[in-house]
Amino acid sequence: MLLAIDTSAGTSVAIVDRDRGAIVEHGEADTRRHAEVIGDLVRLCLVESGIPIAGLSGVAVGMGPGPFTGLRVGIAAAQAFALGAGKPVVRVVSHDAIAWGHYAAGGSGPLLVVTDARRREVYWTVYSGADGEGLPVRAAGPGLARPDELSAVVDGAAGYLRLDAEEVSASSVGLLAEGLFLHHREFVGPTPLYLRSPDVTVSAGPKRVSR
Amino acid sequence: MNWMLRRARETDLASIMELETGTFGTDAWSDEAMLSDLASVHCYYLVAEREGFPGVIDGYAGLFAPRGAREADIQTIAVAEVARRSGLGRTLMQSLIAEARSRGVEEVFLEVRADNPGAQHLYETLGFQQIAVRVGYYQPDGVDANVMRLAVPEPCLRPAVGVTPSGADAHGALVLGIETSCDETGIGIVRGRTLLANVIASSMDEHARYGGVVPEIAARAHLEALTPSITAALAEAGVTLQELDAIAVTSGPGLSGALMVGIGAAKALAVALDKPLYAVNHLVGHVGADVLREDGSAIELPTIALLVSGGHTSLLLVRDLVSDVELLGETIDDAAGEAFDKVARLLGLPYPGGPEIDRAAIGGDPAAIRFPRGLTLPKDLEHHRYDFSFSGLKTAVARWVEQRRDAGQEVPIADVAASFREAVTDVLLTKAINACREFGIQRLLLGGGVVANARVREVATERCAAEGIALRIPPLSLCTDNGAMIAAIGAQLIEAGCSPSGLSFGADSTLPVTVIQA
Repeated sequence: MLLAIDTSAGTSVAIVDRDRGAIVEHGEADTRRHAEVIGDLVRLCLVESGIPIAGLSGVAVGMGPGPFTGLRVGIAAAQAFALGAGKPVVRVVSHDAIAWGHYAAGGSGPLLVVTDARRREVYWTVYSGADGEGLPVRAAGPGLARPDELSAVVDGAAGYLRLDAEEVSASSVGLLAEGLFLHHREFVGPTPLYLRSPDVTVSAGPKRVSR
Repeated sequence: MNWMLRRARETDLASIMELETGTFGTDAWSDEAMLSDLASVHCYYLVAEREGFPGVIDGYAGLFAPRGAREADIQTIAVAEVARRSGLGRTLMQSLIAEARSRGVEEVFLEVRADNPGAQHLYETLGFQQIAVRVGYYQPDGVDANVMRLAVPEPCLRPAVGVTPSGADAHGALVLGIETSCDETGIGIVRGRTLLANVIASSMDEHARYGGVVPEIAARAHLEALTPSITAALAEAGVTLQELDAIAVTSGPGLSGALMVGIGAAKALAVALDKPLYAVNHLVGHVGADVLREDGSAIELPTIALLVSGGHTSLLLVRDLVSDVELLGETIDDAAGEAFDKVARLLGLPYPGGPEIDRAAIGGDPAAIRFPRGLTLPKDLEHHRYDFSFSGLKTAVARWVEQRRDAGQEVPIADVAASFREAVTDVLLTKAINACREFGIQRLLLGGGVVANARVREVATERCAAEGIALRIPPLSLCTDNGAMIAAIGAQLIEAGCSPSGLSFGADSTLPVTVIQA
């Protein structure tokens, strides 16, 4: 049983179980309220499900790609919750969760997952399909591109079913994590998938003030 | 007499029932009914245990608030005869209302006997209004019940009378503080006024090449440093997360993206541990650092406080740490620390500028160049009596240096650094001491990273001595941004009986200093 959190788009929190599936999920689609809602959503999921924290085996979190500020709130919350609960954290690519949801719902074949990266750019990942365990097989990405560049950046983009996702379901994050664990697959590392460097310019020196 | 409020346990049943039957006589609840409420996740029962008398319960109160429901009921409340008129009933009620608020409840209902005007008065002063009467509700006496309703108010700060919140022992509450408002990830642990741990992870080096704090770099560094810093602080303090009484976190002012990392973590930690969470004002935290002095001397209030850092330059009048902080003035452009950084850069010195300017000023003449003192002219003082401005000073230094260079003359770095530093120090202390004089408060407290500047401390010491003003400077490790000061304010809020902040607050980059607890 996992507590799952994803803030790569809106805020989504769920409790999932490998056998029972998604037990409870609550979310806030607003992409500017991650810090406000995260605590209430986690508590709501715990209370509504009636599952004691001791009954969880870990915390699953989506590591992006996603806009920085919101993405970090979910990761910080997942890490802190795990620390408080004395449980491990497992990390997945948020796009993989979207693809997992697509295949779990009966979809098949090549898939291009696209999410909003703001600043007129999108995050993208391509999947060749699901493997025998229903787990998505990432073929390329995640990457960052302008929408009009996608067909050039993604090899053979036209051949993929394109899935533009506005939300990432924490249930999918959690159930994907359960599947990865069950089949001894690798999780991703602790570095968030920002895919962009911070906006900085090295100063060219002080500007002249007198004419 | 003091009490500790804590969650009621099933083992409290006998004590509770003794009070229940003693108070309500014929319409008292049965053991079974009470036990069922105590065990229910939809209920929240508190007992008041007399301090120094473990097991002696002088009051209890219960709330029925199913998760997700917008309405809640006060199930019962009783205070022992010996404990009446102490504010205990009010505190119990406030605690239940706070819990209702944190569960998202919008309206709280209760029934009160029509022949109990004392209780009705208490509820009215808490904001309840009578909405209906249930005729003959209390049987077998046939007494009517007045039904009252409260629209759950926003949290307000009201010190309680003689009540220490749950868990806090005589040495004060054990609080973990999280600070991520700028470029320092600070985790502190305090017990009341005693500092147990102060762990700081700084991303300053990563900002050095950009000449100032880059918000996104700071926020990324917070995420990396946060949980390891919490673990390190727990080890330093020799306590476990489970032993904590509460968690406190900076909710503003500061860099939004950076604040959100701490807030997200603090909320999740509070839920995982089922501990109350206090959202604290960063600037008040700087003042609160003073309660952690090793000599243990209590901060005397009211005091004027001068907070000077890379992000803030504020002059405050602090009458009470948890309920009354007034902003007298602040910078209208650059913070003092920012001016140090900018002047260091134009002198070709590295970031951060404060210590560099300090070093460069050694042997320099502070009176060599008379740089302007911002907002000190009579016409400025009319509207900006306690405000600061350092942008003009920075430009004046730049212009002076450019003129020298244009003329092919060497720039006397030591004199420029010393004179600039003198101008900043002079205006800071002049305004602070004017405030002390004009408000008749002979106490000045310094806080913020710029206090690390030797000349600022020196001038403050000299001028305060000349004016007979008692000067307080918290230990330097507590002057820069840190989590211990946030934990200290958390402990003070608990000591004052303030309700936790709940889980719904957000980051407020411009949180006014008057909002001590969000």
